Amino acid sequence: MREHKRAKMWTTHPYKWGQKYSLWPIHFCTGCGAIEIPPTMLAPYDASRFGMGPMASPRQANLLLLTGYLTRKTLKYVIRTYEQMLTPRYVISFGSCPIDGGLYYTSYNTINHLEWYLPVDVWIAGCMPRPEAFLMGVNRLMEEIENGTADGYKRYEENIDYYRRNQERTLGKKFLEELKQVEWLT
Amino acid sequence: MTIGLQIAWMISLPVVMILLVAVVFTGISLKVTARIDRRYGPPIYQPVIDLVKLVSLKTNVSHGVIFDWGLLVAIAGSSVALLMIPMGGIHPLSGSGDLLVILYLMIFASVGLGLSAGASENPNASMGVSRKLMLGLGYEVPFILILLAMMTYHHTTSLVALVAAQRATGVLGALRFPLSAVAAILIMPALQGVRPFDFVTAPQEVASGPMVELGGKYLALMVIEQSLHTAVILSLMVDLFFGGATNLGIFILKMTGLFLFGVLVNAVYPRFRVEQALRYCWRWPTWFALGGLIMAMVTKGG
Amino acid sequence: MLESIVIIGLVAPFVVGLSWRWPRLRAVLAGVAALYPLIALSVLYGRTIATAYARIPFLGTELSLRLTPLSWLFGIGIATIGLFGLIYSFSYMKGKQQLGLYYLLYLLVNAGMIGVVLSGDLITFYIMWEIMSVATFLSIGLARGQALPAGMKYILFSIGGSTAMLLAIVSLYITYGTVNIAALSAAMSGASVGYALSILVLFSVAFGIKNAVWPFHAWLPDAYAESVTPFSAVLSGMLTRMGVYGFLLVMYGMIGLPLVQRMTYGPVGYQIVLAWIAGITIVFGVFTAVLHDDAKRLLSWSSIGHGGYMILGLLLAGTLNLSGGIFHVINYAMSVSLLFFVVGAVEYRTGTRDLTQLGGLKERMPVTFIAALIGVLGMIGVPLTSGFVSKWLIYKGLILGGHPFLAFAALIGTWGTILYGYKLIHNVFLGRMPARFEEVEEVPWGMRIPMIALAGLIVLFGILPGIPLRIISLIETSFGVSALPTAIVGAPSGVGELNLLNILGGILAVAIAMYAIFSPTARARRAARTDTYTAGAPTPISGYHYVSHFYDPAERIIRPYLTDWCGVFYSWVGRQANAFFNGARKVYSGNINTYALWIVILLGVFVTMNLLGWRP
Repeated sequence: MREHKRAKMWTTHPYKWGQKYSLWPIHFCTGCGAIEIPPTMLAPYDASRFGMGPMASPRQANLLLLTGYLTRKTLKYVIRTYEQMLTPRYVISFGSCPIDGGLYYTSYNTINHLEWYLPVDVWIAGCMPRPEAFLMGVNRLMEEIENGTADGYKRYEENIDYYRRNQERTLGKKFLEELKQVEWLT
Repeated sequence: MTIGLQIAWMISLPVVMILLVAVVFTGISLKVTARIDRRYGPPIYQPVIDLVKLVSLKTNVSHGVIFDWGLLVAIAGSSVALLMIPMGGIHPLSGSGDLLVILYLMIFASVGLGLSAGASENPNASMGVSRKLMLGLGYEVPFILILLAMMTYHHTTSLVALVAAQRATGVLGALRFPLSAVAAILIMPALQGVRPFDFVTAPQEVASGPMVELGGKYLALMVIEQSLHTAVILSLMVDLFFGGATNLGIFILKMTGLFLFGVLVNAVYPRFRVEQALRYCWRWPTWFALGGLIMAMVTKGG
Repeated sequence: MLESIVIIGLVAPFVVGLSWRWPRLRAVLAGVAALYPLIALSVLYGRTIATAYARIPFLGTELSLRLTPLSWLFGIGIATIGLFGLIYSFSYMKGKQQLGLYYLLYLLVNAGMIGVVLSGDLITFYIMWEIMSVATFLSIGLARGQALPAGMKYILFSIGGSTAMLLAIVSLYITYGTVNIAALSAAMSGASVGYALSILVLFSVAFGIKNAVWPFHAWLPDAYAESVTPFSAVLSGMLTRMGVYGFLLVMYGMIGLPLVQRMTYGPVGYQIVLAWIAGITIVFGVFTAVLHDDAKRLLSWSSIGHGGYMILGLLLAGTLNLSGGIFHVINYAMSVSLLFFVVGAVEYRTGTRDLTQLGGLKERMPVTFIAALIGVLGMIGVPLTSGFVSKWLIYKGLILGGHPFLAFAALIGTWGTILYGYKLIHNVFLGRMPARFEEVEEVPWGMRIPMIALAGLIVLFGILPGIPLRIISLIETSFGVSALPTAIVGAPSGVGELNLLNILGGILAVAIAMYAIFSPTARARRAARTDTYTAGAPTPISGYHYVSHFYDPAERIIRPYLTDWCGVFYSWVGRQANAFFNGARKVYSGNINTYALWIVILLGVFVTMNLLGWRP
């Protein structure tokens, strides 16, 4: 990152500059990939030089890292957490499991296609992606934010019926009833 | 000071302090902590980026009127307390309040934050506030003894008079009250709220405590409130122990030195449990502060 | 004029009691009885009157009534809190049993208190004191159940105190031949230090028991917690502070400050010993309040603690101290009555005052919440409330007077107050609301008016403390102590730095400026009640509220040090006395032969005494 290029961006696009260089992931470690997060945050890979710092609550975070496979139970928690985050919010999915099921594609309990339930901005392939791959994915997200194409949250609101249908099919009606507790998307 | 200059300072001093602590000090602390961890760390102006992001979010979540106004009351109390503390000769409101008033305006911060956190309707927030009040109980015991030593020796409760007495005799407060100074250094991290005493907003234990439901602009307000509170604490310590200053620049340099001490302690130590923190505060710092008070009572003559 | 106040005060309760069949008539008569002292005293502001109303031939002395600035201040306080409590009772007690007796006793207690402050001689003082104490005992017991032993404890302690007072009064009469307070104050300036000290100690026992100073506090928690809420408000607001009035009257009005200051034996003296006892009361009372989960018990221990502030203020000589102590009586009366009204209002609507069962009522009962918030802030002593000014005066007086350890006790007492004050507000009004309180409404207007009025007064006297401080200066002049110079908005520059209007302006300006600066940001959407961080789990319907063991780590550390040794001691005394009396009553065995035996033994003793020549 060239420092002067970053600083110049402040005068032209302060909003994008803020969203880009201050991605705060929520400290929600879902699957096997969670083991790759601590080495990335600390030396020598040091994600904090990109402005990333883990946050405890979805109200404070604007990036959701789905690190690995998702069981049905975890998916319920992830969807609630995603809906409690403040927009604009971004999703990065790690590993092969959210893409097409990965290692567990025949399992009765894990889901195979994350994009049916949540909008994803950046996919990182691998089983598990190394910290370098993680940082490349974060850079890709930053480029998308700058171009204005990181609009997963807008897609979620516009296609909410599609996502709700898929969520009900896999997770049940009771989940949608409970989701009304945090729902603000009409 | 003319009335116009006073009003100008009243408006600009809190802004200067907010920018100083929230931006410069936080940036320095991130960089210094990173270098201690042998990594690069974010750029120095990272807090600016964070604040820009926080205020430019498209949605914000509120839990009611009390949630909104609690933080504003806390900021207001801390700002007024800041204006009463002599900072390099600038103290526009010090005729309206002495050291006791400053001490009790700092309660506005705790109460305002407690109201916002309570309105969040989240037990994590309530746990955070109860921890904050217990931490306050912990450090107030030695802190009050330290302040009493100074006020008893100089026979005044006015902070301006305390600073003037130090400058008049040329002896720093830290040298005249060595025991009290040792006690103050020992509880400095507790006053600032850094490790080992940062269990109030611990992300791992209580999901960041009172800040758990604060997002977006409310988090920006919380950052401002924390920076004002830190500025009040640091400037109080500089005035009491390091002689104040004749102009704002040197005063800020002294504040930076004291702040760096907190950063270094924060980078190295793990977190206390609440009862460990209480026992710590009520043991050696209290003994030192008590010794300082007895020495002040015995040697006072002025 | 003064006689009319006392006579109406004593007769009206019985008239009200007789009209128990007609609620409207009873309410009107009670209202008039409570309003009359307030109006009468307001008219008499600033005058010092003394009138004799009776003569006792066999004692050769006159009974009189007297109005001094001190009486005026306490009288206005009593009348105001009594009136507010009465308005509150109209709503709170609707539909309860034995209302005629309740109003009778309530008004009788008020009459007793006003009689105490208006008395000009010690016999009237004693009579009114006893009327007040007995009416209180009966009122505490009205709630039945646990309240009966609580009332018994109260009256036993009170009788002990009254006996000490009676001893002192009799001794004074024998020495000086008069019981008129004004005459005694002139006569006692020539008394010897030892005699004055003994009189002062006897009176201190009486007033210390009434004010629940540390060794004598054991009656207070049960009495406050078990009695009916409007009466608890009056009890804590003004009744316990009759002890402070007594202290002021005897120490300053009768014995006089110069004589008290001579009561030292080396480094130890009456003032210092009692000041340290008051300091212990502050710390012990306040930190025990932190441990309790019953709202009324918490407030009762808070009363014990803050009584220590008042005693501390008035004991150590000094204008700042004395002003702070007297002012704190008024401030604390307002705050704690307000909080008792709040607890009563919450109990009225929800049926419980257990702090671990409540929560989240700030939207259902907004007026009560704001009143409670102001009451708690006033108790803590946050700037812009009246509690801050009185506490500021006490701290400043203690620090500049060279008592740093007592100042430490006072300052740490405030932190304890912050702890239990926040606990009260949080457990009742903040946090999540249990589902069973969905239908809870705000309390009726009869209960709202006193709360709003008291909250308004706390803020008014917080911003303009000059109004009550002017009266306090008058009191100090009447005692012969140098008066506190006052400015309307704080302290004049000679006294110290305090300007509350500037502070208010600063706080409002900053709050509004911040609100304006942040208004261009995105408008916040109001989250639903269930929309809160739960780590992704569905939000529980109930129980998602941190209320039990609110300060658990601190409680675990400080609980072993707060064992109530006095309570243990009094329970032991009670048990031993019970055992002794149980054995003693066996004298009456019902057996005629035993009685004949006792008579014969007694006759034998008398005959022996006669033979040996002993003459008792």
